[in-house]
Order: sequence, then C-alpha cells, then structure tokens
Amino acid sequence: MMAIEISKIIRDWVPSQSKVIDFGCGDGSLLKDLIDTKNICGYGVEIDHQMIAQCIEKGISVVEKDIDEGIQDFELSNFDIAIMASSIQCLKNPNIAMRRMLKLSNKCIVTLPNFGYWRCRLALLAGKMPVTPSLPSSWYETENLHLCTINDFEELCSDAGFIIDERIFLNSSNKKGLLASVMPNMFASEGVYLLGRK
Amino acid sequence: MKIKTELVHFKEGMELTSGSKLSMFDLMVETYGELNEEKSNGILVCHAFSGNHHAAGVSENEDISGWWDQLIGPSKAIDTDKYFVVCCNNLGGCSGSTGPTSINPETNESYGRDFPLVSVIDWVNSQKMLADYLGIDKWKLVAGGSLGGMQALQWALSFPDSLEKSGIFAAAARSSTQNIAMNEVARESIRKDVNFYDGDYLKHDVKPKGGLKTARMLGHVTYLSEKHMDLKFGRKFQDITSKVGGDVDFEVENYLQYKGEKFSNSFDANSYILMTKAMDSYDAASSFSGDLEKALECIKAKLLIIGFETDWLYPPKRGREIQLAAMNVNVSCSYVTLDGEQGHDSFLFASSRYENIIKTFIQS
Repeated sequence: MMAIEISKIIRDWVPSQSKVIDFGCGDGSLLKDLIDTKNICGYGVEIDHQMIAQCIEKGISVVEKDIDEGIQDFELSNFDIAIMASSIQCLKNPNIAMRRMLKLSNKCIVTLPNFGYWRCRLALLAGKMPVTPSLPSSWYETENLHLCTINDFEELCSDAGFIIDERIFLNSSNKKGLLASVMPNMFASEGVYLLGRK
Repeated sequence: MKIKTELVHFKEGMELTSGSKLSMFDLMVETYGELNEEKSNGILVCHAFSGNHHAAGVSENEDISGWWDQLIGPSKAIDTDKYFVVCCNNLGGCSGSTGPTSINPETNESYGRDFPLVSVIDWVNSQKMLADYLGIDKWKLVAGGSLGGMQALQWALSFPDSLEKSGIFAAAARSSTQNIAMNEVARESIRKDVNFYDGDYLKHDVKPKGGLKTARMLGHVTYLSEKHMDLKFGRKFQDITSKVGGDVDFEVENYLQYKGEKFSNSFDANSYILMTKAMDSYDAASSFSGDLEKALECIKAKLLIIGFETDWLYPPKRGREIQLAAMNVNVSCSYVTLDGEQGHDSFLFASSRYENIIKTFIQS
C-alpha cells in the first residue's frame, strides 16, 4: 500500500489529462485516483495475479509483465509521466531502466528507500542488516537488489544526465519533516523524485 | 438455462468485402439466457474456425456440449443468469448458416466451390445485422478465441459504438506466415483428394473425406502443446481392442485418426477452405497499410487480451502486439498471460484464473 502522503505528492506532479504509466502498479489504486482526480489516461504494469485481478475489477488497463520487461518493451511508447514507486532498487539495472523510462516518457516519478537513513546506519553499526518501515523485509526475503542512499541516487542522476525537477524527502512516518528536508541523506526514510531529461 | 436455436433469414442479403454479393442469407443462431428490457445485457461470442452456433449447454439431438460450455452458463464466467449470450454459425460454415452446402437461389443448386470468399469483416457485418434483428444496439461484450478473437477485435474496429468491451483470446491482429503455411498444407491435402473434384464434389455425390481427415489431423497437432501431448498420450501404445485402424501403434496416432475421421464426417471441405482462407487473409490493419496503431485509433471499447503460455499457433506475443498498439493510441486495454496447458486450445477450457478474469472484466 502506498502511503497517502506519497500519493498526494504524485497527484500534485501529474498534469491533468496526461498519459501515465505506473510500473509496479499494485492493485491500481494510484492510477484509479489519478483517473478520478486528474482525468488521466493510465496504464499499469504488474506481475502479481491477485493485483492484476484487482486492477481489472477497477477498470484499470493493466499489462501482465515484470517491470524490467515492461520498460524494455514499451521503450518506444509515448507517455507524459512514468511512475516507479518503491521498485527501482528491485530492478536488474536501475540506471538502464531509468534511462529507458525517460525515453518512453517525458517525466519520471521515482520513489526509493534511503539506505543512508540513520536507523540503517545504526543497524549496520550494530552489525545487522537494517529492517525499517521503508525496508521492511529481512535480508533473505527482500526483493531489493540495488539499495542506495539519497546521495548515491542523486549522483547517478547527475552522471546519467537526468534532471531532478522536484524532490521531496519523507521521514519514517511518511511526513515532510524538517530534519528530513535539511539533512535528507541522514534523516529521510524515503525520497520522492520528479525527473526529466536534458 | 434458457436455450433457443433459431435460423434467422436476411432477405436483404449483403455485399461482401470481396465484391461479391449474397442476395439473401441465413444465420443459424443459438441464444442462452434472457435479454433484459433495456436490451443492455447482450454478449456475443464468436466461434473459432471449425466451431458453430452451439456454444453452451447440451444439444438435444446429439448430446454434444457447446464449444464454450465450460465458460458459458448459470454462474459461470459468462453468466447466463445475468447476460443474454448469442452465438451464430458464421457465413460460409456448414452448421446451418448459408455456406457452400446451401442452395444458391440463382441456380437452385448447392453453391459448392462457387460460394464467394468471406472475410472476418463480412462475418462481423453479418453479426451486426443479427444484432439489429435482435434489437441490441450495444453489446456488453463481444468475445472469442482464435479466429473468434479476431472477430471480437474486428467488432471494436468496424462498430466502435456498438460494444462496451471486447475479449480477444489466443488471437492475433493478423495471421503469421507460419499460420498461413500450416493452413496451406491442410488445404492441399483436401485438394489432392481424388473425391475433391476441384470443389465440385457435391455434384458427383461424394466427399473428399480422406483429405479433410488429414487436414484436421494436422490441425489438431497445431492446437495442442508439446507438453499436453506428452501428458495426455506420452509414448503409450494403443490398446489393441480399441484401435481405429490396423496400422495404429501409439495412442496419439489413434487419437488423431479418431478425431480426423469424426471431423471428416461432419464438416464440409469447401467450408474448411473458406474458413482457413478467411483466417489467413485477416489483417486488422489492412486498410492502414499495415499500421496497427492507426487501425486501432478508432476503438472505444475496453479490450481484454489473453494469451496462453503453451500456445504456439497464436503465441502470447501476438496478443501483446495488439496490447502495445492499443496502448500507444490511448485505447483502454489489459493484457494477461495464462498458464493453460492445452496449447492453442487452452482458450476453450475453464481455469479459476481465466474464469475470474473474464467475470471481473465483464462486471468492471
């Protein structure tokens, strides 16, 4: 389930009547919300059978594919916005995936857990892999392949030529806290980005 | 379930895409359930190449279940307690609708080989005339598998305002080279039968049953998956007491012999050729120089495309082509791949996920 705060941010960033693709769309709630509030033309990509059925029930267009495959197959498509919430770190090649996302759409919304979050650092200091609200699974169950810190992610954006149009940092209660916005690499549990291309 | 079988006569006839004209024609129609007062609960199901109007329930005279009986009926995926389901034998068929075995009113003899070429577009046009006859302005859903799926797609293209949803299963926007090749081998076996007489066999009071049988045997191989054949028959030898022919060794041979024989007794060879020609020549984008995206731009219906993992005749990627083109022109379209072990035939068989998805799609 996506936090209410994150879906609010996304709603603000998505222009009315735009064409949106949501990679890893889950049960289609976000797309349904954007269709109802922003009158978008939306498509979801999802692999989980139950989630797909729930999308169809909501009348959401959903394509059964894993995200990597979807991003590759839709490379020549024409979206205004591509959304990838809490999934970028699960992909085989996040940098290639992001480049492709910015090819198939003008803008890209990415949310990611911050591995530099102080609780992660503390856990590692104590010699354990972190388990936090935004990284809830233990190391042997997690689907995460490429965890990074806020600084790592922004460095990748800069190296790859992705323009960060907007960024919002959330604390562990998914609120825009003061500490999280002043020192995100240490105090943000999650980063929410709106990216564009040069 | 209320089942009604009716031969509907269209005295106005119709112009075919080939340029020929049928001065009048009949459609053999079967309906299930009841049409509501608003006439808003109609669902049209379109049969695949050798199917017919008998889609559900058990026919009285021959005790045969309909081809989609696993999915159509009370409380089934296509629920006849809620929806009025319609299926007709396509033009050019041999189950009651006007086709090569029918009498040509201009000559008072069977059409035989002179029956004009029909196309998927012609079938959809004739089904629209049927919808008008039934008073149904807008289908809740038009759905079908294989060649039936092509009709469901063509409905969305030909009559965008006359259906809410389209279910396209185990189908493609156009037949592949391999599809055409397979069909040509089947047709050639019919043509080479000494009793074919260049399609004029009815005048000689014979039927090219041998050729038709071989064609069907080849067809059956293409409808099943390698895995399903392994599971169903393996390399088991046929029990000596139930062999259909002396030279049969394996169960799979016996099965193909039996199925081929049965089919050749009931199907018409000219219909076989017509139906496969219609399948081969179908191209949803033919009016748009092959540009599928342009072709799909007019669609207003919501599409549900289903592919089956083990289908090698119309593999899942053929459905994905339609999905991608539809998405690129902002048409509402979902795509799902199902496991279905029975190869291309999987679209005929119920599975919990298949049923659930169809049911959910209709209700959404």
